[in-house]
Amino acid sequence: MRILIVDDDPLAGEMTQAILEEAGHDCLFAANGLEALEHLADETPFELLVSDLHMPLLSGLELFREIREQGLDLPFVLLTGDDPEPLRAQTPGLAACLMKDDSLETDLPRLIAQL
Amino acid sequence: MATGKTESFMERKRKLRQSFLSQFPGRLALARDLLAQLAPGDDHAERLKQLHLIFHTIKGSGASFGFESINAPARAAEQALRETLDSNGQVTAPLLDELTRRLDALAGLDLNLDTPNGHDHGPGFIIAPRQTSDAYPGERRQRLIYLCDDDPILVQELATQLSCFGYRVTPFVTLDALREAVAVEPPSTIIMDVIFPEGQHAGPAAIAELSTRLSQTIPTVFISSHDDFSARLRAVQVGGSAYCPKPVKAVEMAEILDQLTNRAPPEPFHILIVDDDPDMAQFHAMALEESGMIARVVTEPEQVPAVLESFDADLVLMDLYMPNCSGVELAQVLRQIPGYLSLPIIYVSSETNVDRQFKALEVGADGFLTKPLEPERLVTEVHLRAERMRTLRSLMIRDSLTGLFNHNTILQLLEVAMASGRRSQSPICLAMLDVDRFKTVNDTYGHPAGDQVLMALARTLRLRLREVDLVGRYGGEEFAVVLVGLDSEQAKGVIDSLRTSFAAVTFFADGIEFRCTFSAGVAGFPEFTNASALTEAADRALYRAKHAGRNRVEIAHEEPDTPSGINAVPDTHDSEGAGNGA
Repeated sequence: MRILIVDDDPLAGEMTQAILEEAGHDCLFAANGLEALEHLADETPFELLVSDLHMPLLSGLELFREIREQGLDLPFVLLTGDDPEPLRAQTPGLAACLMKDDSLETDLPRLIAQL
Repeated sequence: MATGKTESFMERKRKLRQSFLSQFPGRLALARDLLAQLAPGDDHAERLKQLHLIFHTIKGSGASFGFESINAPARAAEQALRETLDSNGQVTAPLLDELTRRLDALAGLDLNLDTPNGHDHGPGFIIAPRQTSDAYPGERRQRLIYLCDDDPILVQELATQLSCFGYRVTPFVTLDALREAVAVEPPSTIIMDVIFPEGQHAGPAAIAELSTRLSQTIPTVFISSHDDFSARLRAVQVGGSAYCPKPVKAVEMAEILDQLTNRAPPEPFHILIVDDDPDMAQFHAMALEESGMIARVVTEPEQVPAVLESFDADLVLMDLYMPNCSGVELAQVLRQIPGYLSLPIIYVSSETNVDRQFKALEVGADGFLTKPLEPERLVTEVHLRAERMRTLRSLMIRDSLTGLFNHNTILQLLEVAMASGRRSQSPICLAMLDVDRFKTVNDTYGHPAGDQVLMALARTLRLRLREVDLVGRYGGEEFAVVLVGLDSEQAKGVIDSLRTSFAAVTFFADGIEFRCTFSAGVAGFPEFTNASALTEAADRALYRAKHAGRNRVEIAHEEPDTPSGINAVPDTHDSEGAGNGA
């Protein structure tokens, strides 16, 4: 699957990338929301977007709303360092909202396999 | 060779955890810097947000990489900041206190790569404070350079060329070979490719690993066929000192290596401190001088212009509120004097009102430091700005190709040197150098080859002459050298020996070797009494050298050259239409 990863922390982003590539996906990394929007305009479409929540300039949620407004309906997975429950409840359109800790290593590939 | 994806997931994860660990002290130091800039009563939302983001990121990536002990302190700090930002944004003493404690707790964690999850808590050691950026690494070892690139041809070529510039270069084609060699004898600098079969950023990753293992950073120059932002960013993150897109020119690389293995420590920064409170001024002066800068204190604003005439300040630090003439007024006065238009001015004041700070900056000052001021912070701020200004100024007065003084600057400096020669009654010589048959070099081997020749000559001149001598690119392929304290005969001797060494340098263009020579004319003061007479005389002598067969040095004499025979009009000056834009 072709996946776009967005994270303002390059190390965390690369970790996500490592997890997904290990699961056999084809990943591209964007360091912020704006860069992500540029990549989304690429010719080859992405099948999934995995984004960090808390980022400067454009937060993960804002990015989510922005791409929906642009009419893109690719699945969107939000990663957060805090309790994901309230976010899930508050934002119905998300494919998933996952806690960013070392459970990600197993949860993220499993989730994507189900999509 | 394999295509990058040979690394196992576990290996990749291990490396990422390692990078996180090596970046961790830097992140804490950043938070500490921001914290130091906050005082109770401030409402500096921007800084609070930055701090919040740092703690948030530390918490997040700490969790991602399984360092559980990071969570509690980072989360507590994050929450305290969130609450403050959500309420009135007012900095309070308890908040600062809490953040400081949380930072201390984080710094005291014994984070260990080999404890995969949990059990890594308990303060074991204190992470060493980061070295201040202006600490010179003391005396450098010899000029031993390690060059690592998986392209064997490139490695061999670059190593050979660099050795012409006096560097001892050991080439490596694999990261493992480099690692072993560094363990045995660390070099003074590493030249490192970015992309290796091991991965897109395997070069920077290897450097990060080396510096964690050695607990010291070896200056590293990255070379890469990719000139993209992410590779550059990665290089900076692991402490890279320079980044060179391929193809790498040996001359440029030599320039960079010269700077990294620097011959002479740079001139200390000169800082002028203006404050009506002598104690405060002395306190700041002391802090700056302790860090190696030269500080001069003035307590009366009206003396500043006069002091600046003799004290060549890199930066002025001024109190905002002074009787008779405020900092703002003094800044305005200075900005109206053409020579001081770009002199950096920083206010120091206890003024915390942002509007008033902004008003004060509007007249053309460059920054605002709020009292009370930690000495470390003062030093950092001043150093940063003074350094940037020096770089800017050097861009204005230097020729972009060779890094030498440009035409106008070298002429101005000649005037200054002659004035001081007149005062001290000591001789001065001007030598004009011109590369022989330069147009042919350009035509035969192309402009890049011509540039290479000019840069090599510039470099020879700068390295071989004394610090007091002045070297400029006069135009095209003509160079002007001002030699202080030498008479014409001595100057001729110096230039002659340079001529011999330069003639021995081999250049390469598309695999073809070639050599270049130069001719020179020397004229001396006091024989020629003013700058324009001196320049003309040196130029005439240069023409004579060209006519006498090139690759030689001639001395100009008082009598305008009475041509000894053949050609009265110098006509074969090689420069015509040579290009290589000056």
